[in-house]
Amino acid sequence: MNINPVLLKELKVRMRGWKAAGIIALYLLVLTVVAVFIIYTTFMDPYSSNIDPQVSIGAYTALAVFQFMLIMFIVPALTAGAISGEREKQTLDLVLCTRLKPISIITGKLFASTSQTLLLIIASFPLFSMVFLFGGISIKEVMQLFGFYIVTAVTIGCIGIFFSAHLKRTTASTVFTYGTLAFLAFGTIFIGVFYIRIFYNWDYNKFLPILYSNPLTGFGSLLAEQFGYYGGINAFLGLSAGSGQNPNAANAISPWLGNIIFDIVLSAVLLILSAARINPVRKSIFSYIRFRGRKKKKASDSI
Amino acid sequence: MLSIRNLNKRYGRFQAVSELNLDVPEGEIFGFVGPNGAGKTTTMKIICGLLRATSGEITLDGVDIIRNSRRMKEKIGYMPDFFGVYDDLKVNEYLEFYASIYNIKGQERKRITDDLLELVDLGSKREAYVDSLSRGMKQRLCLARSLVHNPRLLVLDEPASGMDPRARFEMKEILKNLKGMGKTIIISSHILPELAELCTSIGIIDQGRMVISGSNEEIMQQVYNKKVVRLKVRDRLDDAVLILKEYPFVDKLVIGENTIQAGFGGGDGEMSRVLSDLINRGIPVVSFAQMDGNLEDVFMKVTKGDDEQ
Repeated sequence: MNINPVLLKELKVRMRGWKAAGIIALYLLVLTVVAVFIIYTTFMDPYSSNIDPQVSIGAYTALAVFQFMLIMFIVPALTAGAISGEREKQTLDLVLCTRLKPISIITGKLFASTSQTLLLIIASFPLFSMVFLFGGISIKEVMQLFGFYIVTAVTIGCIGIFFSAHLKRTTASTVFTYGTLAFLAFGTIFIGVFYIRIFYNWDYNKFLPILYSNPLTGFGSLLAEQFGYYGGINAFLGLSAGSGQNPNAANAISPWLGNIIFDIVLSAVLLILSAARINPVRKSIFSYIRFRGRKKKKASDSI
Repeated sequence: MLSIRNLNKRYGRFQAVSELNLDVPEGEIFGFVGPNGAGKTTTMKIICGLLRATSGEITLDGVDIIRNSRRMKEKIGYMPDFFGVYDDLKVNEYLEFYASIYNIKGQERKRITDDLLELVDLGSKREAYVDSLSRGMKQRLCLARSLVHNPRLLVLDEPASGMDPRARFEMKEILKNLKGMGKTIIISSHILPELAELCTSIGIIDQGRMVISGSNEEIMQQVYNKKVVRLKVRDRLDDAVLILKEYPFVDKLVIGENTIQAGFGGGDGEMSRVLSDLINRGIPVVSFAQMDGNLEDVFMKVTKGDDEQ
């Protein structure tokens, strides 16, 4: 099997020495402290002397939120300089003049940049399994959460790579990546609320699509669904199928599932655009438009 | 081998390369000379698939480079005028990374890496971090990188820029080795005497146009219309000048301190006749030889300075 050479090189550099192992160890230690603290405080509760699934749900939620925040904050910083950094080091041309396809360079850089975060996520899996001791959470649900993490991390990585490929400076790319993420997380909610308040339109089927792009909504709805809460965020989205608020809600897909589909489509589009951007012999859309314009002008002149 | 026809590259309104034509036969070392901003790097980047030409055709062994960019990249090695090295890799890892891009695996990858490091005299540095290498060493490592897939055509953009005399000498020796190995090389440099010594043919580019190209001798003949001979005498310089002026095929005399440089229209027979005449008439000749050509003079003559642009 041929492993992407860019990915292999990056992994070799990143995993060299004790630094990578040290980061994983430290991260797992922090997660353990968080989980133990929550379990301990729940056990200390004088009104709850038995083993209660609520213990595992509390620990699971804390770990899940902690890990999700890590993805949201760390991945942009790691990916926003992936291509612009190569440009700044003057190594991009050297890779581009080889037989490697631009899309291979982009995917190699993407997975290399997100690999450290993905490794942290995967390494924390055994810690999550600690909640199985208390019941309330199944393996399937933990797998769902990890699948959601991986898709979110890769999508944020794609956003970072996209700006990194399009902007010359890493600083500008980082700002734009965090800005886009802030828009997806908060801007879409603002637009949704604005839409409802201004137009008094409570038809959630029209309101929902924009929130499919929101990672927070997706994450919140996943946890809510796993805990069997049909209030909270799902009610806000009009997805409380049983509540009778919205007859179309039963036919709508869950926000987290919609978010995953949106993320996959967005990632694919961004990867293609990034690969096209770094391809030195690409035909730009503007030159194509100019060419068409000239052709039309010639044709009209000849008439 | 390499053929460029009517190559044009335009950045907005700026014409970087204009109707450039060039032929480099197999095994040649072609020196690409021109002032800053003349279009050398642009042309080289287009050859290597790093820039899109506005129009024109480039073929390598008859195959269109522009249309078959990816396939042709396997036949071309490019060394830019900057280092472009990953500081956090070791020297052998750096070469192995580029070898892996060309799908060179296992023992073969190791063998090629070792051979190239020996070729560029970095065998003792294979376990050193790239970061720790000197400028000259980094440039030699870059040259090794451009050779990792055994390309038929090497495009070297200012390979000796910023090097000290010793590093330049070492680079020149490596290029001579590559010439011996039959590689076709296009090289740009500002150090013109070195190019004259190393290259089998030279092209001078100015404002995106190829002003003149051919072998060193052909260029001198095109510029001066004649050979250039240089005479050095111990004394009686004025008498020597008078004797030379007697010959109709000798002209454009440039007189220095005990030296005369002149355009010479005759062949070898005429040269020996003039030399015998000088000696028979008592001129104390120290040396009398056809000049290899002063490329710098030619360069200044055929290109326009910044002030004239």
